[in-house]
Amino acid sequence: MKLIQKKQLKGLTVTLTTMLSLVFTTHLVQAKTTAITNATVYTVASQGILSQATVVIEDGTIIAINPEQVEADEIIDANERILTPGFIGSMNSLGLVEVGAVARTRDGSDKKADITFDGSLAFNPKSTLIAYTRKGGITSNIVAPDGGEGLFAGQTFAANLSGDFNSIIANQNAVLVYLGAESKGSRAQKLQLLDHKFADIQEKLTKKKAKDDKSPKTLKRDEKVIKSLLAGEKPLLAYADRATDLLALLALKEKYALDLVLVSASDAVLVADEIAAAKVPVIISAIDNLPSSFDSLHGSLSNMALLVKAGVKVILTPKGESHNLNQLRFDAGVAVANGLAKTDALSALTANVADVFKLNAGRIAVGKNADLVLWSADPFELSTKVDLMWINGKPVSTQSRQDALRDRYTGSSDMPRAYIK
Amino acid sequence: MQIRPVKLSLIVAAMSLSLTACLPAEKQDAKVSINKNPFPSTYQALPQQTTLFTNATVLTGTGERLDNADVLIKDGKIVQLGVDVVASDAVTIDAQGKWLTPGIIDVHSHLGVYPSPSVESHSDGNEMTAPNTAEVWAEHSVWPQDPGFQAARAGGITTLQILPGSANLFGGRGVTLRNVPSETMQGMKFINAPYGLKMACGENPKRVYGNRKQLPSTRMGNVAGYRAAWAAATEYKRAWDKYYSDYDAGNNPQPPTRDLELDTLMGVLDGDILIHNHCYKAEEMAVMMDLGKEFNYNSGTFHHGIEAYKIADKLAENANCVAMWPDWWGFKMEAYDMVEENVAIVDAVKNSCAIVHSDSSTTIQRLNQEAGKVMYRANENGFELNAEDAIKWITFNAAKSLGISEKTGSLAQGKNADLVLWNTNPFSVYAQAEQVFIDGAKVYDRHDEKYQAKSDFLLGQE
Repeated sequence: MKLIQKKQLKGLTVTLTTMLSLVFTTHLVQAKTTAITNATVYTVASQGILSQATVVIEDGTIIAINPEQVEADEIIDANERILTPGFIGSMNSLGLVEVGAVARTRDGSDKKADITFDGSLAFNPKSTLIAYTRKGGITSNIVAPDGGEGLFAGQTFAANLSGDFNSIIANQNAVLVYLGAESKGSRAQKLQLLDHKFADIQEKLTKKKAKDDKSPKTLKRDEKVIKSLLAGEKPLLAYADRATDLLALLALKEKYALDLVLVSASDAVLVADEIAAAKVPVIISAIDNLPSSFDSLHGSLSNMALLVKAGVKVILTPKGESHNLNQLRFDAGVAVANGLAKTDALSALTANVADVFKLNAGRIAVGKNADLVLWSADPFELSTKVDLMWINGKPVSTQSRQDALRDRYTGSSDMPRAYIK
Repeated sequence: MQIRPVKLSLIVAAMSLSLTACLPAEKQDAKVSINKNPFPSTYQALPQQTTLFTNATVLTGTGERLDNADVLIKDGKIVQLGVDVVASDAVTIDAQGKWLTPGIIDVHSHLGVYPSPSVESHSDGNEMTAPNTAEVWAEHSVWPQDPGFQAARAGGITTLQILPGSANLFGGRGVTLRNVPSETMQGMKFINAPYGLKMACGENPKRVYGNRKQLPSTRMGNVAGYRAAWAAATEYKRAWDKYYSDYDAGNNPQPPTRDLELDTLMGVLDGDILIHNHCYKAEEMAVMMDLGKEFNYNSGTFHHGIEAYKIADKLAENANCVAMWPDWWGFKMEAYDMVEENVAIVDAVKNSCAIVHSDSSTTIQRLNQEAGKVMYRANENGFELNAEDAIKWITFNAAKSLGISEKTGSLAQGKNADLVLWNTNPFSVYAQAEQVFIDGAKVYDRHDEKYQAKSDFLLGQE
C-alpha cells in the first residue's frame, strides 16, 4: 500500500503524539481527506476486525477501507490502536437537561406532551453534558423524552454530539410508550388502550380505502402517528419489564405488524426465545441486576449475554441519569465480564442502535458517516481513553467544563483561582 | 464504646421511673446513666478454617503492593504476610495471577433502609418529619433480607455503614454492619464500631422544609438549625456532666430528663459518635469545619464532597475525611462542579483521608471500579497513582472514617481476616471478586454455589 500525503501542513508533522488541542488549533479541521492508517479496525460489519488497516474519510463519509493507494491531505498513524465506530447512546435526556433538579433546565417532559411531542425542538447542543459525554466515545445519541400524562410519551430523536447547532440527525423517529406496574390503576388498562388505539385507526384506514367513510378526510396529527406505526414506518419503543407485558406486546406486534422494540425488559430472559423468534430488539441496561420491583425479579449481570445467546438483538442503554452517559462503555465491560462476547457488546453500542433507528452510522464501511473513535486501548477498559474522535468526519475534542475546573484547581498561582482561566 | 451489663440497665430503667426530687446528700439513689449500647451486636463469624493464599499480588490497603506474596489467615485474623509462608494445617489457595486486597468498605450505603424491591412499605431511610431527627437510628430500619447485601458481597463488600437519608439537618444515627447474611440487624452489627451521626448541608434540607414554609428554607437557615441544636446539646451535656460530678462528690442530684435527640448529639460532643456529613460544596464544608470548632466536636467525614478539590488543603489540615463519587454530577446545582480527579486531588495532600463511596445499590457492587476510574483519569492528567494507592480509598481510609481501622481495612498481621481474592487486577473493568472472607470465614465464592447466599425474598420466586 502506498501512502501519499497530499500536502504537508506548515511546520506540523502529524504524529501519534499530536495532542487533540493541537489538532484543533491547526487547519486540519478543514482537511479534505483524512486517512487513518495502521489501525486495528473493528468494523462491526462483514469485514470483522481488520489489522493494520487504513480507513479513509472525506466530506464526512467513509470513502475507502484498505485502498490500494492512499491519497490524503492528512495521514494519521494509529500505531495499531483500536478504531471503532462512534458509540451511540440511547434512551436518555442528553441535550434536554442541564441540571436535574433545576426545572428550568429540563425540557424532556410536559403535562401536555402526547404522541406527537417533538423534543428535538428543545435540544441544546451547547449543554455541558455533550462534551463530557464525548469522553465516552459517544458520537450520537437517541434522546427519549419523558412525555406527559397520556398513554404515549412522545417521540425520540437522534442527535450527534458535535456540539454544533445543526446536531439533529432525525426528529420524531420512534414512538415511546411506558407500560407495566401502576401505582394507581391496573397495567391492563394501558395494554387495552394501546390495542384499541391501533384497532381504531386501522378501522378508519380500512373504511377510507373502501370509500364509504363519512368522517373527516384527514387524520388528526396523533392519528397520523399511529398510522405511521401501523405502516411500520417507525418503531414503537415500549418500556415494560414483566414477562406477561413483554408477551402482550409481542402479541400486539403480531396483530398489527408493528416495528416493536422492547425497552428495559428486565424479564426478557424468561421469554428470550419468543422475543428472538419475533425478531424484536431489546434495549437493556447491563448493570440493572437488583429486583427493584415485582416487575423485575430476574435481573442479572448475565442477562445481556443470555439474550444474545438466545438470538435477540440487544442495545446497551445506561441505567440512570443522562449526565454519566459516557460510562456506557464500562457497562459493556461489565457485560463482557459476565459472559457477553466483546464483539456483541460492541454491536450493542453501535450497529444494533443504527439498525433500529435507521442511522447511517454504527459501522465502519464505505458510505457510512465518518463517526469514528481511536482508542488508547480496549474501549471497554477503565484505563482506556479516547485518543482521537471524529463526528461526520470532523475531529472533535473530549475536553469539557470538568477539565477546565480541574486545571484551575491543580495549577498554582499567587492570586485567587478565579484569575486562572 | 462501653457495653453495659444487662442487669445494670434494668436497674437504670427501674430507677428512672421512680425518680422524684433531690434527696439528702447522705443517702444516694442509684446512679443513673445512659445505656450507650441498647441494641448490642450478636454477630458471630461464620464457620472458618485456616487458609493460606499463595503467590498473590497483594495490596495491603496502606499503600503497599507485594508481588508473589503469601497470606495466612487463622482464627479470624491475618497471622502471616510474606513469602514462603508454610502452614501444614491450612487449606491452600493458589492465588497465582490473582490479587488479594482487604475487604472493601463502603462508608455510605442505604442497603436495608432503601432496599430492593423499592416498594413504599420498604421506604425506611429518611424520617422526613422534622429538620432534626437525631433521635432516629438507621439500624431500626434495616431489613436484613435486602437482596442488595448479597449483590454487594459478590463485589467484595465486607463492611458498610448504613446511613439515614439526607432530608434533615440531623438525619439520625448510622450503623456499621458486617456484610453477612442474618435474620436480624444485630446479627450483622460490627462489634464495637462507633455510631455515626448523619448531617446534611445544602439543598436537601432547605428544599424539604422550605416547601413546608418552615425553617430551614435557606442555607443560612440550615446553619441556624445546626447551631441551635449544638447549643442545646452543649447544655444537655453540661447538665449530665454536672449530675455525674455531683453524684461522684457524694451528693444525690436529680438526673437530667432523658432526651433521645440530645443523647445522640451529646454522643458526638463526648467523642463517641462520629459525624458523617452530606455536604457537596466547598464553602459549606468550610462553614461546617468552623461549626465543629465552635461547639468543640470533630466535624468528621464529609460525604458527596463534589467540591472537595477546591479546598483540599483545608480538609487535610482540619483532619476531615472526604467520601466522594468518582464522577456523578449534575443531578442538582450543588453537584454541578464535578471533576473526575476530585478524589486524587484530595488524596494528594499530606494527612488527607480520601474515600470513594457509593450511596448506590448498583455501584456498591463495583466500588473497585469506581476507585479505578479516579486513578486512571487522574493519571491522564498529571498524577502518578498506582493500584496500591487507589485501594486505600475503599479500604483503609474508609475504615478510618468509620473508626474501625484498628480492626479492618488493611492486610497486616493481627488485623481481622477480611479479604477479597480477585481474578485479576481489581481496577480492571473485567475484575471479579472470586472469594470473599469476613473474619476469616468464606462468605462468598463465585465458583461455588454453596457460598452464594440468597435473600428470603427471592427464594421461590418464579
